[in-house]
Amino acid sequence: MSNQLQEEREIILGNENVDAFDFDEVREFVKGADEQLFISHHFATKDKMLVQPRGGFPTYQKQYALYEFFVDANVDVLPLTIDSNTRLNDYSTAKKMLRLSEENEVDMLNGYPLVNHGYRTTRKMMTHFNHPVSLRHGTPDARLLIEIAIASGIFEIEGGPITYLLPYSKNFPLDKAFLYWKYVERVCADYSTLNKPINRESFGPLTATLVPPCITIVIQLLEMMLSLEEGVKSFSVSFSQQGSMIQDIVTGKVTRALAKHYAAQIGCEDAVINLVYHQWMGAFPTNRDSADQLINMSTVIASMVGADKIITKTREEAVGIPTKEANAKVVADTQYTLRILNGLPGISDEMEEEVLTAEVHAIMEAVFNDPADTLWRKVFNSIKNGIIDVPFSPHIINHNKMITIRDAQKNIRIIDRGNVPIPDRCYVYEKSCCDLNKDTTSIVNDIIHDIGIMQ
Amino acid sequence: MKVVTGVIGNDIHVVANRLMDLSLNARGYEVFNLGVNTYLEEFFDAAVETGADILLISSLNGEAEGWAREVKLLKAEYKSIDKLIMMIGGNLTVGSGNAEDIVPRYQNYGFNLVCHQVDLNTGLDMLEAYVDEHRPGERGKGELGNVEHNTREQVPS
Repeated sequence: MSNQLQEEREIILGNENVDAFDFDEVREFVKGADEQLFISHHFATKDKMLVQPRGGFPTYQKQYALYEFFVDANVDVLPLTIDSNTRLNDYSTAKKMLRLSEENEVDMLNGYPLVNHGYRTTRKMMTHFNHPVSLRHGTPDARLLIEIAIASGIFEIEGGPITYLLPYSKNFPLDKAFLYWKYVERVCADYSTLNKPINRESFGPLTATLVPPCITIVIQLLEMMLSLEEGVKSFSVSFSQQGSMIQDIVTGKVTRALAKHYAAQIGCEDAVINLVYHQWMGAFPTNRDSADQLINMSTVIASMVGADKIITKTREEAVGIPTKEANAKVVADTQYTLRILNGLPGISDEMEEEVLTAEVHAIMEAVFNDPADTLWRKVFNSIKNGIIDVPFSPHIINHNKMITIRDAQKNIRIIDRGNVPIPDRCYVYEKSCCDLNKDTTSIVNDIIHDIGIMQ
Repeated sequence: MKVVTGVIGNDIHVVANRLMDLSLNARGYEVFNLGVNTYLEEFFDAAVETGADILLISSLNGEAEGWAREVKLLKAEYKSIDKLIMMIGGNLTVGSGNAEDIVPRYQNYGFNLVCHQVDLNTGLDMLEAYVDEHRPGERGKGELGNVEHNTREQVPS
């Protein structure tokens, strides 16, 4: 590790909310940590799809109780979801709300304030359950958070400079996010040399609102490359259920093939790339029984896709933060569905694969052709000038020119490419799948309907 | 005609805002979309800067109620926006409430047009009717003109 990075780490960990971070002790802990704590070890040794729910509560006791429920339901990977104050680096508000939650038995935070709990406390919980844990946050500047996470025994870090910014923020500067995430990649890479690798995972769902697969895949590949070029050895690309089974299957195939291709292009063939599937991330039905059916169907599609890990939702998604009972139920249900799903046919659609592959290559080429000197700057410029355009991102830098809609099979199609360099023949094909002989008012109504298809 | 639009306050609900942008453009308005998470001052600043005819504020989480009370006071500090048509729409109260109470309240706050839980196209039809009544002949003078509402013309070939 460079001296410059170590100096930066000392400044970050000198934060007043951190109680004397012991670098040497943490290194020794990671070096000697049980292999069961590493999701990269589970990916390498298990041939089933790993099941990971979502969940985070403010207090240690409630988080502990949630984990007990999950373990009873035969969970593969535990989540640690972080509260929104910590995500915005507002540790003092998180501290106050944590105290109120502890004193009043009312949850005043929507997740676990990891920095305030500290690594010495949190590590006790992680080593007790001895399961791999995935850090779920949404933080543009996660430098302090990931230090505390790894020191606690959390060896999977979700997020990235694009996927944790464009869906969540209006104003946070994207260039700063790239630099803060570079720190994260370097620290993960460094710890990865001591024991099993730390796994990094990108957040493919993005806005979960009519994002076309080519945009999802391009962003997955770019965050993967930004991570691998800093020395990360285990990376998960991901996407969420899109609304059409065949589009999900094609997306999975193209994502896997191109992840391998672009990793090799930067000399990182040795890195392990995993594929993660998110159950439906859009608007959920309020009817709990319908929600259960949707969740079950997602599990079937994840199996058709051949994902290495599935991240679950709950039947209470439309209502609020799920109870631990609802959360444990979905783990048990998903494991059951996976166990009885056998003899799946290997289907795909070669033409769709070919079109999607051509689109992704064309956008990637345009990014690489940007004259900037480093990959992150090329990506930054490409987002700024709309070569990458994420539908329904609230961020001021996003171009918002691309328009997508569903065709009769509910595939997401691009009807206005904006500045995204979709090859002409692919664009003609995408538009030919849709009925465009309508006025804009009807198309807007179609879009509203297409966003809410699962409700 | 020029329209300034956006979502008020600490509200990050972006979907309706984008659809509004799309629909306003299709109806021939010149749109200046400030996006989500926009404060009252920013709306008025943008209205002055662009010389807007219409200010269309939306709210999804209902926090508009708190902001709208300050509209008259703040608007009085600006010159040259006396003729600005003020419209607000979305969920205009936190929790539940009925339009019969909400609409006059917001009219008192200084809005010409108030749409509580009215669907997008109905709201924009109301705006067109209002403009035709109060500014006859002005609609359709935006950059795009009052063209045939055909999406194919928006899609570059």
